[in-house]
Amino acid sequence: MQRRPSFIVLALLVIAGLFSACEVQAPKDPHTLIYHLGSEPDTLNRLTATDAYEGRINGFIFDSLIERDNATLEFKPKMAKSWEVSDDKLVYTFHLRDDIKWHDGKPFNADDVIYTFQKIMDEKVDAPHLRVYYKDIKNLEKLDDYTVRFTYAIPYFKALEFVGGIPIIPKHVFDDGKDFNSHPAGRFPIGNGPYKFKRWDTGSQIVLERNEEYWDKTKFPDIRRIVFKIIPDDIVAFQRLKKGDLDMDSLNPKQWVKQSNTPTFEKLFAKHQYYTPSYRYVGWNLRRPYFQDKKVRQALARLINRQGILKNLEYGLGKLTTGPFWIFGYEYDQTLPQIPFDPAGAKKLLDEAGWIDHDGDGIRDKDGVKFSFKFLIPSGAEFYQNLATIMKRDFAEAGIEMEIQTMEWATFVQQLNSRDFDAVSLAWSFGYDEDPYQVWHSSQAEKGSNFVGFQNGEADRLMEEARQVFDKDKRAELFHQMHRIIYDEQPYAFLYSGPALVARSRRFENVKVYPGGVDILEWKVGKQP
Amino acid sequence: MSAYLLKRLLTMIPTLFGIMLITFLIVRLAPGNPVSLKIQAAQGLKSTALSQEVTDQMLKLYGLKVDLPAGYENFIKDKPAPVRKALEWLGQNTIQFKIWLVNVCQLNFGMSFKDHRPVLEKIREALPITLTLNLLEFLIAYLISIPLGVYSALGRESAVDKGVMVLLFILYSLPTFWVAYLLLMYFASGDHLNWFPLGGLHSEGYETYPFLMKIGNLMWHLVLPVITMVYGSFAFITRFSRSTMLEVVKQDYVRTAWAKGLPRRQVIWKHAFRNSLIPQITLLGTLLPALLGGSVIIEQIFSIPGMGKLAFEAISSRDYPTIMAITTISAFLTLISLLLSDIAYAFADPRISFEEKQQA
Repeated sequence: MQRRPSFIVLALLVIAGLFSACEVQAPKDPHTLIYHLGSEPDTLNRLTATDAYEGRINGFIFDSLIERDNATLEFKPKMAKSWEVSDDKLVYTFHLRDDIKWHDGKPFNADDVIYTFQKIMDEKVDAPHLRVYYKDIKNLEKLDDYTVRFTYAIPYFKALEFVGGIPIIPKHVFDDGKDFNSHPAGRFPIGNGPYKFKRWDTGSQIVLERNEEYWDKTKFPDIRRIVFKIIPDDIVAFQRLKKGDLDMDSLNPKQWVKQSNTPTFEKLFAKHQYYTPSYRYVGWNLRRPYFQDKKVRQALARLINRQGILKNLEYGLGKLTTGPFWIFGYEYDQTLPQIPFDPAGAKKLLDEAGWIDHDGDGIRDKDGVKFSFKFLIPSGAEFYQNLATIMKRDFAEAGIEMEIQTMEWATFVQQLNSRDFDAVSLAWSFGYDEDPYQVWHSSQAEKGSNFVGFQNGEADRLMEEARQVFDKDKRAELFHQMHRIIYDEQPYAFLYSGPALVARSRRFENVKVYPGGVDILEWKVGKQP
Repeated sequence: MSAYLLKRLLTMIPTLFGIMLITFLIVRLAPGNPVSLKIQAAQGLKSTALSQEVTDQMLKLYGLKVDLPAGYENFIKDKPAPVRKALEWLGQNTIQFKIWLVNVCQLNFGMSFKDHRPVLEKIREALPITLTLNLLEFLIAYLISIPLGVYSALGRESAVDKGVMVLLFILYSLPTFWVAYLLLMYFASGDHLNWFPLGGLHSEGYETYPFLMKIGNLMWHLVLPVITMVYGSFAFITRFSRSTMLEVVKQDYVRTAWAKGLPRRQVIWKHAFRNSLIPQITLLGTLLPALLGGSVIIEQIFSIPGMGKLAFEAISSRDYPTIMAITTISAFLTLISLLLSDIAYAFADPRISFEEKQQA
């Protein structure tokens, strides 16, 4: 009896030893690419999905009418072999290829496009986020089995992107009388792209297999299977990458700089970085008395040590930014100088604006209002926590009291929506050919994404005008002007744009890095180094 | 006995109703709104100002806006705005709670807001994983802790007893996430040892494995998570079985057994140990609901899609039907298992009876 506990421990050790001795798993298949997903998509129904993970997976399963060229980012034909735009930029006619088949063998044709559009507009379909993009389409007609024509009510420079990128779903699969939102095809998508959906083990993995009948021979992939492994914990995911369980993973700056430069890692993996359109910012709620004066906001921008933040929190990986556009985009005005970290200058500006410490309590005030505000950040994000701590210290030195307010995401969103915050830090990521309307137009101040309540007549006019300008250079001119207005007004303190950091196995060859990232379809399977 | 049972079962109904109502209210009163979360938060918060019409359509689609009876509408129509708002909230939620309750009585927990799948289907996917982990945990925890408790009790106040207790309390105080990372880094990462996999439930390509290898592969993946789950529970169970054993060995019948000259083995295991198990039955009451619960931290670190993750994600995305289903089911199981442990008590200990005492 006294020996029993040790016996159990011994038995456990024996079992453990057995497991480790025989490694209960099969060897890896070199033609399978294993990719890390931090979380699982809610659904693979293209219309009802709202998360970024769905796009990453369905991007392999579905093609669109037109697509951007990797190198030039210009549109080129895909499922539509050609398209015409009327002179008034209202009518878009697409000529579809007639040799495309859905993965179940049924042909793809104009009916699928029409059906997709009808479903997006159907109020019983859980797709309001898509509906707002297509609400200006007056009419969609089927001219014949392989020709469709979209008619817009007003001209809009992103119209081609929207109609050409409409997420087409197979009519014959969905139109079977079942409820659309809960349709089983959302768990088992049938597409027409280079990969077929194979299986989805909830919370573990999603497996795709190459579509051997894929029509586009110029883009026929070499990799036979893609497995998306769902690993919520980034530390564990990185360990799994190092161990060879994963072939590709995004790194964070610390992993990039400190943990991935061993000879073994560099022998097995190559690292790539590229900048997609995004930036981090601190937004001031312009409805608050202390943020109403432009001088104050210019002063606050000088109180944020952006260079230091970038260096200390992100290991220097990133580029400081001055405005609301992609730093490499044509919209971005490269001539504007960075705002320096300049506490002395900031204090002077604050004095000029009338924010002076009248009562000698160490905090500036004006008209009886103390310069004391709350800084809202989402919980669980180390970066924002550190940023807030740095800002709090530097602000206190300049006589501004800042309290850090951390909130869980759903509550955080509610505070933003009800405009119930003083200052906030977040990041925007967006597309190429950005339309800044949602974030900056005064009409969006009450309910849209213009949380800070930025209202500027000249900027409004520029944005409205730009929406109907189809010439890139002319639009660039308008957006440069707008960039300068925002730079002067400083409704946000713009921080920086961080790069995407990716590590991938050296087993793959022909890997090119484009402005938008890497294209797995081009990769060739080589030898494991 | 049957009268007692009936009484207990009947009192369960208002208790369960109360739990459901309170949960419903807490969920509805929590800040955050599933519709706006879904529309904008998922798109990186970017959205054009949505018209009230679209928002209403969405709320209706999710069953978060129902038609109020015409009479009630008229009644609240000309009240001052804050009162009207409060009354409307009350009316909406009363009707929605009623609809939900009627559905639940037909075992329909509704569709998840997140992915429009039936909530029960999602629970059915996560539950077997959590059950497997928890059963293994309980099994190992009890198999080790109870003999250890008995052993400690017999050598009361000895160096071994004290040593075991110190060790168990040290284990008890170690934070789970820290142990989980340590285990992964030392036993799985390949930097030190490479005995176990780094999380997950299966290896890549396990679909093609033969059956036994599938089981082996699963067990191989479960070793580290189970160790992480189990080490903290030793202290409590050992302590509990030690104290119940101490109670029992002091009893007269044990002394009698010794006096009869029975062998040590028989005295301890037959006479003392069996009776020391009776108080353990109270622990049964917590066992059934605990079987269902998963730990978010462990599941997160080991990439296990269990109940903890399901519940946590439901809460953070304000997926009302899933939250309600999980709380209702665990409330129901808690009530059932409390009842079961009371009944088990009566069976194990003939001195306990639920019959009304006869008036003298």
